[in-house]
Amino acid sequence: MERRQSCYMNTYFEEVKPSCMWLGLSGTRGEALSSRRAVESGQRTALPVSVEIDQYAIEVLDFSSHYGSENSMSYTMRNLAGGPNVYPSFGDFTQTAVFRAYGTWWEQCASAPPPFHRTPKSFHSQDYIELAFEEPVYPTAVEVLETYHPGAIVQITACSLNPFSQNPPADVRWEVLWAGEPTKVLTPQARQFSPSIKQLSFPTNLIRLEANSSLLKYYTELDAVVLRGQRERPIMSLYKMPRIDICDLSDSDEELLDPGTSFRRAGDEKYMDLVNGYFDRLPYELIQLIVSHLTLPDLCRLAQTCKLFHQHCCDPLQYTQLSLQPYWPRLNDSSLGYLQSRCTLLQRLNLSWTGGRGALTLTGFSSFMKACGGNLVCLELSCCHFLNEVCLEVISQTCSGLQELNLSSCDRLHPQAFTHISNLTRLRRLVLYRTKIEQTAMLSILTFCTELRHLNLGSCVMIEDYDVVVSMLAVRCRSLRSLDLWRCRNLTERGLAELAVGCRLLEELDLGWCSTLQSSSGCFQHLACNLPHLRKLFLTANRTVCDSDIEELAANCHALQHLDILGTRMVTSTSLRKLLQACPKLLLLDVSFCSQVDARIVQELSGLFPNVAIKKSFTQ
Amino acid sequence: MLSVLSYGRLVARAVIGGLSQTDGRDYSLVTASCGFGKDIRKGIQKKGMCYGDDACFIARHRSADVLGVADGVGGWRDYGVDPSQFSGTLMKTCERLIKEGRFVPSNPVGVLTTSYYELLQNKVPLLGSSTACIVVLDRQSHRLHTANLGDSGFLVVRGGEVVHRSDEQQHYFNTPFQLSIAPPEAEGEVLSDSPDTADSLSFDVQLGDIILTATDGLFDNMPDYMILHELKRLKNTNYESIQQTARSIAEHAHVLAYDPNYMSPFAQFACDNGLNVRGGKPDDITVLLSIVAEYTD
Repeated sequence: MERRQSCYMNTYFEEVKPSCMWLGLSGTRGEALSSRRAVESGQRTALPVSVEIDQYAIEVLDFSSHYGSENSMSYTMRNLAGGPNVYPSFGDFTQTAVFRAYGTWWEQCASAPPPFHRTPKSFHSQDYIELAFEEPVYPTAVEVLETYHPGAIVQITACSLNPFSQNPPADVRWEVLWAGEPTKVLTPQARQFSPSIKQLSFPTNLIRLEANSSLLKYYTELDAVVLRGQRERPIMSLYKMPRIDICDLSDSDEELLDPGTSFRRAGDEKYMDLVNGYFDRLPYELIQLIVSHLTLPDLCRLAQTCKLFHQHCCDPLQYTQLSLQPYWPRLNDSSLGYLQSRCTLLQRLNLSWTGGRGALTLTGFSSFMKACGGNLVCLELSCCHFLNEVCLEVISQTCSGLQELNLSSCDRLHPQAFTHISNLTRLRRLVLYRTKIEQTAMLSILTFCTELRHLNLGSCVMIEDYDVVVSMLAVRCRSLRSLDLWRCRNLTERGLAELAVGCRLLEELDLGWCSTLQSSSGCFQHLACNLPHLRKLFLTANRTVCDSDIEELAANCHALQHLDILGTRMVTSTSLRKLLQACPKLLLLDVSFCSQVDARIVQELSGLFPNVAIKKSFTQ
Repeated sequence: MLSVLSYGRLVARAVIGGLSQTDGRDYSLVTASCGFGKDIRKGIQKKGMCYGDDACFIARHRSADVLGVADGVGGWRDYGVDPSQFSGTLMKTCERLIKEGRFVPSNPVGVLTTSYYELLQNKVPLLGSSTACIVVLDRQSHRLHTANLGDSGFLVVRGGEVVHRSDEQQHYFNTPFQLSIAPPEAEGEVLSDSPDTADSLSFDVQLGDIILTATDGLFDNMPDYMILHELKRLKNTNYESIQQTARSIAEHAHVLAYDPNYMSPFAQFACDNGLNVRGGKPDDITVLLSIVAEYTD
């Protein structure tokens, strides 16, 4: 088989040794001479060329999720700007930045989508934060102060764009400063995480952290981020030219020229049949199977090697699922355009995190949707800030069979855009976490999307009356399996009662921080009695949860797996014991800040019920 | 009819008045704090800016200087709640709000409302109640914006006289307006005033004005004339002398509080309402003493 040379080989150049002339620009002659000797012996010297400055972030520009309420100072991402408030203390403090989830609890739920095929093993990120600093520098270190359950940071990237500049350049580059695996640190201590970072060839004041909390025992909390760097480009840096990163989609889709006769060896009859070597002997389906294990960039590279592989790698059957989230820095309208011809059978598409800062536009997106959206069943568009109302309209028109739509944290999407979702009548899973959807659009969606199984309205602050919304749910969406009402401000026992009666198949219910629910109304007991299939119940920071509620859960909800009753003063170990005995499938019990359940009780219960992870967070 | 001379004098005064107006200059508050907890436990300061169940804060921002005092309602102790937790957290939250610039200088009630809301966002189930008094100096406009809920308060002294003061807010005797977070089982029975019921006052201040912000531990034990007498000793605007004066006021009030024969303002008020009592009122005392000065970085 003859192979076409790939345009991008792994190359790196030898160390570049600066000439003596450069040394003459700074330092004394004596220093210059010794530096030259140092250079020639391959060492660095300490020429006081450039001053290192430390900066704290001045603004949090964007992020994927947080635990706290919008507009609050408690447990929100805005706490990552400025200096540390907590470090070096270790504990659960309000003044830190906390993500919405941790561990694998959310992934275990039925409401979680299955992972996408071809996710590269090196991509671990679940959450991200983008931070702006005052002054662009050439970074020498990035320090993250972690004050609770450290170990979540998996990637640090730097951007060439200055977010405060008046004339942003057309070309925006992101370079990975460091990437690693998610870890969990066993010692209960605050940590200053400062991995060794790559040297950059451009100054930066925009840093992005990506995190994965799946190994952590509780929410990680971040206090501050320090960017240390030099104003001037370090001239003494003996740097290796970086490997040209071949994960570059936009260049990987060049059409292969017709090989024509160059593949045939004249006069060799045997080779006429085996132009692609023994690959020609393999059945088509087998090569398809082999190729289905390649990650997307490898698939694109393989497509350029020969006609046979080009055919295999561009076969639409390889693109029934497509996740472009790991490649978010490089995805733009033209790369999406190149993929269009292969994605005609696309069923699941993940564009989460992509398209920011003008990389994707309405034109590119709608062209792709019109070409490939017809068979789409699942569309992940979390944190897609390029989306606007027209994009949603295009989706509603082209993806008539859409069953799953994720618009998590698309907080810049105009409320009017959500009205188009009601056209997607086959929707089963809808995520609107932290969006600005308004009540009318929500009611309209519930009227028409009666097949909803999973609905996430966490932190949807623009919905005026949750009782009305939940009431409508109870009437129209009887197949509902999971409902996330995290921080819905005004749900009362009226709405909850109707929900319990209308959506009998409900398995997951998140009522965290819904402060208007009062146990004295009997609403939780009513819930327990009516929802025997309940697997997940979050009553986080509802200070009214009491022993009777727990006992009612123990009596009725034997399928219970996850329960969070953080912050109630009314629950004692007696009812907890009953619950643990009655619910053999229980895996998670969060009794943090429950004043009548102290560490000793937690230890005792953990010993008696070793399968249950009993969480008891603390401040000091 | 004005003579030329007197007319001239008027003009001269106006011109000089105009010249000496430092309109362009920013003002600031130089503030010192002092206080005593009711039972002097180990040391005077528990954890900085807390005196017994009282708490206070002093915060600077580019646009404003802000002070606050909060008097934790002691009655919670009978229910197993530490009253200093509420007032302390409230003041710390206000301080954080100011430092992060999440406030409007002309809306001190907003500071209270936002802080109160933030208290409810804490995972820790906070319980308790307190009064609150917030004083904001807008550097540029030279206006003092205040919000007072309850019976803490402030005085503004100019030229040896009280020119502004806060009004006490009481529901009934010894029951001031208070911000509170009640346990769910007692929700209907516990007094809980909304932050927007706070009294709001705004007025101009001049260089040299003295602002005294304190909890009722001071005002219930020291009448105005005694406070003014102490303030006469304040000679200049440097921090040490302000600190000294604040301390002497707090100490004096503390001594009077334990004097069984002294007719304190509190005793006077009780007598006016038919209760025959004498003596001072032992209470936590918190004093924040500020002088309006020019802003230096």
